[in-house]
Amino acid sequence: MKILAVEDDALTLALLVSSLGEAGHEVEQAGDGHTGLTLACGRAHDVAVIDRMLPGIDGLELVRRLRAAGVQTPVLFLTTMGGISDRVDGLEAGGDDYLVKPFAFAELLARIHALARRPPLGRVETVLHAAGIELDLVTRRVSRSGQTVDLQPREFSLLEFLMRNAGQIVTRRQLLESVWGFHFDPKTNIVETHMSRLRAKLNSNGEPDPIGTIRGAGYLLHALMA
Amino acid sequence: MYTAAFMVTVGVIGWVTVLVVSDTLERQAQRGLENEASALVDEFKAGGRQDLEAALAGRFANPLTHIRYVLIGVDGRALLGDETLLPYGRDPAGSVASRGAGPRTAARALSDGSRLVVADDLADVRHVEAVIRRAFLIALVIAGALGLGTGSLLSTALLRRLDAITRTAEAVVAGDLTQRITHTGSKDEFDRLAVTLNRMLDRIDGLMVNLRQVSTDIAHDLRTPLSRLRQNLETTNRRAATLDDYRVAVEQAVEETDRILDIFSALLRIAQIEATTLRKGFHPVNLSELFHTVADAYAAPASDGGRTLAADITADVWVQADQDLLTQLFVNLVENALLHTPQRSTVTLELSVRDRSVVAAVCDDGPGIPATEREKVLRRFYRLERSRYGPGNGLGLSLAAAVAELHGGQLTLSDAQPGLRASIAFTRELIL
Repeated sequence: MKILAVEDDALTLALLVSSLGEAGHEVEQAGDGHTGLTLACGRAHDVAVIDRMLPGIDGLELVRRLRAAGVQTPVLFLTTMGGISDRVDGLEAGGDDYLVKPFAFAELLARIHALARRPPLGRVETVLHAAGIELDLVTRRVSRSGQTVDLQPREFSLLEFLMRNAGQIVTRRQLLESVWGFHFDPKTNIVETHMSRLRAKLNSNGEPDPIGTIRGAGYLLHALMA
Repeated sequence: MYTAAFMVTVGVIGWVTVLVVSDTLERQAQRGLENEASALVDEFKAGGRQDLEAALAGRFANPLTHIRYVLIGVDGRALLGDETLLPYGRDPAGSVASRGAGPRTAARALSDGSRLVVADDLADVRHVEAVIRRAFLIALVIAGALGLGTGSLLSTALLRRLDAITRTAEAVVAGDLTQRITHTGSKDEFDRLAVTLNRMLDRIDGLMVNLRQVSTDIAHDLRTPLSRLRQNLETTNRRAATLDDYRVAVEQAVEETDRILDIFSALLRIAQIEATTLRKGFHPVNLSELFHTVADAYAAPASDGGRTLAADITADVWVQADQDLLTQLFVNLVENALLHTPQRSTVTLELSVRDRSVVAAVCDDGPGIPATEREKVLRRFYRLERSRYGPGNGLGLSLAAAVAELHGGQLTLSDAQPGLRASIAFTRELIL
């Protein structure tokens, strides 16, 4: 994947570049808004990771100008902790996701993958298939190996998110945001609780568990399970 | 200064009074003269020169009058009466109204060519003027003396009271926040000012105490996990033998760091919310849906923990709000309730509309919070003795209170008999 990283803190930028490189991505880097804008307009990237606070033009303005120029590269904003209504500002400026520093690298990677996999506009899927599971978004019916599985609405959303990102790690925070709309970290293990219920229902026939738990990172729906 | 202004005022009033009074009196005198002159002319018309002279003789004999008369012949010489009035008879057409020096006069021409002049020296008017002037002069002196006296008395009293305020303010500036302005209890402006300033000092004192408290608490609550972190790292450095030992130690260190960062993040958020007055980022929020989401998210964890989550939610309640913060507020309240109640407790989410006011509440039937502690648990890091060593960082309710305040409401903790009821009433302007 070709990733653009715009971040003014040299150490954070170096860490980003080396970690993303290790994960097999090709990274272009910029230390300020102007360079970032030039690079972003110059060549197509799969995802741009942009810090909110930048010298020159700040992250919000950068993305506004990018969108005005017709560049549709998915943008993940990075921001320092504590800001209220920052997320809304970021999304309104044309950002696609938002991550608060400090973050676990696994979180960043999962979000980059999720952004890069977004279906192009106009293509609408109504039935998802993965790991022998079929999920119908219109009738809201789920079946595994032909057997209907009865799910609660949130369990359905949980499975939907996993299936849309099949074969990729999704984090607890991604699930909290997409399934419940919680943009903060609750103390209670909401995700774990619902995940175990979802698993119990999916595996009630004694079939192997299609959902893997990756310690310290999140969950993974094995795409190619029969 | 004030005395001088006061005296000038008295002087001006005196001067104007004299002017008005003397003017009025002079007009009256003039009218009297005209009447007298006309009366004498009437005598002449009725009985000729003879009757006129008789009438004048009668006037001359009256010792009480100070009106003077002269009858001037065709040759311009005085036929009868006061010769000094001759110059006033030169204008036969009418009266010469002279102001200031000289008498007031009224003149008439008679049909036989002679002229009649009636004059009044206005001695009465001048006398009245003099009396008024004297009265005002005396008043002026008394007023001046009184003004100076009371003025100095008043200003010493004022200065004394201002001094009290200044002294207290200086003591506070010097660092003694316990100083208060003494007030007399008279309920006058100075007392009201003193009471207001004292209230302000109370508030500042409260904030200072709070700030000190928070700083101490932050230092304490961060020192504990930081020293734990340090100790673990040191132990690892000394004892770890295998790669796995190191991996476990690093994982623990990351977890501990996350806890510290959580505290920081919560503190920053609270501070930021408390500093926010602008309701930026406020959008119409379906509160009913938000409540259902929270109830839905926590039903499973609650039942896993042996508790019941119930919901009594009025449908379609919309408010102007920050959705993320409001969600966190109710999540914090629900988590708090689940955390601090024994098994088999019921936690209820309530959303009700009464008289166009929206009340959102989270109730439980657990042990509740003693009335004396209810205010304190809203403070940062404050934790009840019984939960001091349980999970949580003592910031959840502080954050909830700050969010409630941002939304124009107040987080109210009350007795649910049994249990705790945490409720927020939304201000009307935010209800849609």
